[in-house]
Amino acid sequence: MSNYIESLPSIAPELALTVLLCAVLVVDLLLKGRDSRKVGYLTLGGLAVIGWLLVGQWSDLGATGAQKRVFGMIEIDRFGTFFKLFTVGSLAIVALFVLLDRRERRHGIGEYFLLLLGAGLGIFFMVSTSNLLLLMLGLELLSLASYALAGFHKGDKRSAEAAMKYVVFGGLSAGIMLYGISLLYGMTGTIDLAAMASGPNSLAAQFQISPVPVAVAIVLVLAGFAYKVSVVPFHFWTPDVYEGAPTPVTTFLAVGSKAAGFGALLRFTGKLFLVDGADASIQQYGARIGMLLAILAAVTMTLGNLAALRQSSLKRMLAYSSIAHAGYVLVGLATMESSGWSAAMFYLAAYYFMNLGAFGFVLYFESVTGSDDIASLRGLGAKALWVTVPMVVFLISLTGIPPTVGFTGKYLLFIAGVEHGYAWLAVVMALNSVVSLFYYLRIAKALFFAEPVERAMPKQTTLAGSIAALAVFTVIFGLYITPLQEWVKAGVSSLRLSIG
Amino acid sequence: MQEHILSWITFLPLAGMALILCVPKTNTGLIKAISLVATGLPLVLATWLYFGLFQKSVAGPQFVQQLDWIHSIGAQYYVGIDGLSLALVWLTTLLLFIAVPASFGIDKSQKAYYALLLLLEVGIIGVFVSLDYFLFYVYWEVMLLPMYFLIGIWGGPRREYAAIKFFLYTLAGSVLMLVAIVALRLQSGSFSIPYLTELASAGAMDGSKLPGGGALLGMGFQTWIFWFLFIGFAIKVPVFPFHTWLPDAHVQAPTPISVILAGILLKLGGYGMLRACFPLVPDAFRANAYVLGILGVISIVYGAYVALGQTDFKRMVAYSSVSHMGYVLLGVAALTDMGMKGAALQMFNHGTSAAVLFLVVGVIYDRAHHRDLNGFGGISQVMPKYWALTTWGFFAALGLPTQAGFVSEAMTLMGAYQAQDTRFQVLVVISLIGIVLTAAFLLWAMQRVFLGTLNAKYKDYGDMSGREVFCQVPFLALCLILGIFPFLLTDWMDSSIKLLVGTLSKAA
Repeated sequence: MSNYIESLPSIAPELALTVLLCAVLVVDLLLKGRDSRKVGYLTLGGLAVIGWLLVGQWSDLGATGAQKRVFGMIEIDRFGTFFKLFTVGSLAIVALFVLLDRRERRHGIGEYFLLLLGAGLGIFFMVSTSNLLLLMLGLELLSLASYALAGFHKGDKRSAEAAMKYVVFGGLSAGIMLYGISLLYGMTGTIDLAAMASGPNSLAAQFQISPVPVAVAIVLVLAGFAYKVSVVPFHFWTPDVYEGAPTPVTTFLAVGSKAAGFGALLRFTGKLFLVDGADASIQQYGARIGMLLAILAAVTMTLGNLAALRQSSLKRMLAYSSIAHAGYVLVGLATMESSGWSAAMFYLAAYYFMNLGAFGFVLYFESVTGSDDIASLRGLGAKALWVTVPMVVFLISLTGIPPTVGFTGKYLLFIAGVEHGYAWLAVVMALNSVVSLFYYLRIAKALFFAEPVERAMPKQTTLAGSIAALAVFTVIFGLYITPLQEWVKAGVSSLRLSIG
Repeated sequence: MQEHILSWITFLPLAGMALILCVPKTNTGLIKAISLVATGLPLVLATWLYFGLFQKSVAGPQFVQQLDWIHSIGAQYYVGIDGLSLALVWLTTLLLFIAVPASFGIDKSQKAYYALLLLLEVGIIGVFVSLDYFLFYVYWEVMLLPMYFLIGIWGGPRREYAAIKFFLYTLAGSVLMLVAIVALRLQSGSFSIPYLTELASAGAMDGSKLPGGGALLGMGFQTWIFWFLFIGFAIKVPVFPFHTWLPDAHVQAPTPISVILAGILLKLGGYGMLRACFPLVPDAFRANAYVLGILGVISIVYGAYVALGQTDFKRMVAYSSVSHMGYVLLGVAALTDMGMKGAALQMFNHGTSAAVLFLVVGVIYDRAHHRDLNGFGGISQVMPKYWALTTWGFFAALGLPTQAGFVSEAMTLMGAYQAQDTRFQVLVVISLIGIVLTAAFLLWAMQRVFLGTLNAKYKDYGDMSGREVFCQVPFLALCLILGIFPFLLTDWMDSSIKLLVGTLSKAA
């Protein structure tokens, strides 16, 4: 019991998030759903406190890659803290978007924040556990909250359809993943990744007896992750859900939820195949998983980009673009080396700035034109330069053109790919950038090349300001990447992988 | 100031752009004034650098600034200038300075226009002064976006198509470049272009000079690096068969942007080959020099032949650029002192003569609002000043003796004829066809536009305004001065070019 209580400070951010969640629920009840903005402000304030706790945790952990294990299933390390900070950062922006969404009701939307925080709590556990059961619980918490969020506009047919599709796909892939986990448990008798990697009943031993069940189990679990980060062929839900869900929710799915999927996937593969002390044969097996990921990466980015070429809806296009970007991140994962993994995490950080900005742009113009059609943007470029010029920055960053963080991110992935035997994949990625330029520039073209049209623009200073700020960061981190790089390196090294 | 002069020249336009963004968009007078100052100051500094500070006898880079930039990937802020880049930097500052008054006729979103123009200048000068390949690549890409918008917003009717085609072509080329840059970096551990050149010329083929040991550039590796970089730059030049973006971009771009495109942006391709491609992979270059020579000759003849068939004035001039830039490739491929010097001169001289030609087209287009060569006639009667300047410009472009184009074309051809590889003599003979065709299309165009009976529609046209004359005269003067005193360029280039030829022709 005393051990239990001593461990509690290690999960202070999780506890704080839980308290915040309950507070949001109670305050919303007390307000009787009248002024939901207050709930929003409470959420933002609470997230700031959690962010502060996480920063404290980050520095407490120290640069040496210290690691604490609490309750036998949660690992407190800089890797997890990185993803938690990422989550808090994206939740804050998404909550801000909800508050600033002019098409959203002002009252009775307290659950919005509650669900977002619930999803956040799911992510917190997902990215820091080495226990498959807790991983599954975190994933389900995230998923359930996301289903409800996707269908938040109950009256809107598209929103309801999005939620329905999401539930069906999500339920299916959760089932697949759970089946994979049950196979792993059946073979090794444990649900702890560390015990699976070494130990007498290790996966390596099972692998020597018969490789097929191991392969089946691993592939099934990977399928669950692939669904979360929308990797081909588990991407079918993405465009419909992204299009139908309210824009702030889409933003959360594209940024927060995707990064969480990658965080959990990195820890899963790291702990199972690459961690210090793992069996040599299982490490070799990891390299083969890398090959599988590389093929998935190539297919995912190519399909995502090709499909995006034909979209007329901005949100659908960004959905396919987010699929393509999942492919880019996989390039880093596939290397199965720490430099590649840091590159993948760096790219996620880059993705944070440019994609949040791009969705902010969508939110802004949806309130102006009432649609997310690219054609509806025609001639509006000069009307809101504080939003459209940043959008150009996000677009070139998404394409991977300097001087933006998207370029440095892609460059690091590229180098990592070439260095670790995936030169062909790096070239596929480079060619994909050229393809993606075409559809990203369609937005710029619609905004600026068409004849300017007269249209009243509602004043949205805070939203425009936050979009512009994200653009500034996109450029700054494109020219000065050292801090970001230090953070992701510290994150990867705290996983204590056996690789260089 | 003196030791940082390159950074000043590069970033003054950026400061100008920042200032412009703070000016209300209705105050167009102030915006134009700022643009003039922000392009004029670099011109003054570049002139000072050219005639005052630069040491002609030094072959290597001067005014070097080397700072750590992104330590973890080894990128540096590493700039410097030598005889090869000096003239082009000066030409850039001049062209951009002239481009500002040449743009006074544009009245659509002027604030954005001048801001983008200044950003473009930053990118161009940045490429010319970069000695770090990462920095070079960043500047190279920074150029694309302003150019895309300048064509796409202020261009002609098919501007959207032309702008995206320009961007996609160039990006495809730069992606190939990036692949090669990364490969070079991983093999050698450095982005420094002088260091990579040194490695190559020190015969690092056996890998003896590498920090980590091992073979650096096997011939197979060199060859594909060479082609990736070459195609990246050849798209920019453009060399046949990568030229198809050029006519569209040129025709749709507004006049001042065409001037910059032909005058400077094409030179970036040629300069890139000389600075950042051939010296890094000299063996692959020598092995493929003849192929490059052939591509050069095809560009010369084919460009001129297609120009002959154009009815659109601007399209004709655009194809003439393909033809003229072919000499650069031929001269370089010959690998002689004379050919190389001719190629470097030709880059500069085409910068001035192409600028004149596009300005000439702009003058008549602003009045007639069409560019159909067959739709004019007898213009010389109403616009005598225009006729005089155009004639001068055409003669400069077709390489009449006393004009700069004559010197540089003659030098490239003579240089190519002297090449060790005697097959180049055949290429020289074939390229003579191009000279005849160039004379033919220019003189025929002159006849159709200026001579014959005056079309009644045009009888009220006013002659060139003072502003229009002011834009053309500096370039025409340069054509004449450098035609008579080519040493004003060659003296500055000599030592750098000797070094370059030495690097390239050294046997492995």
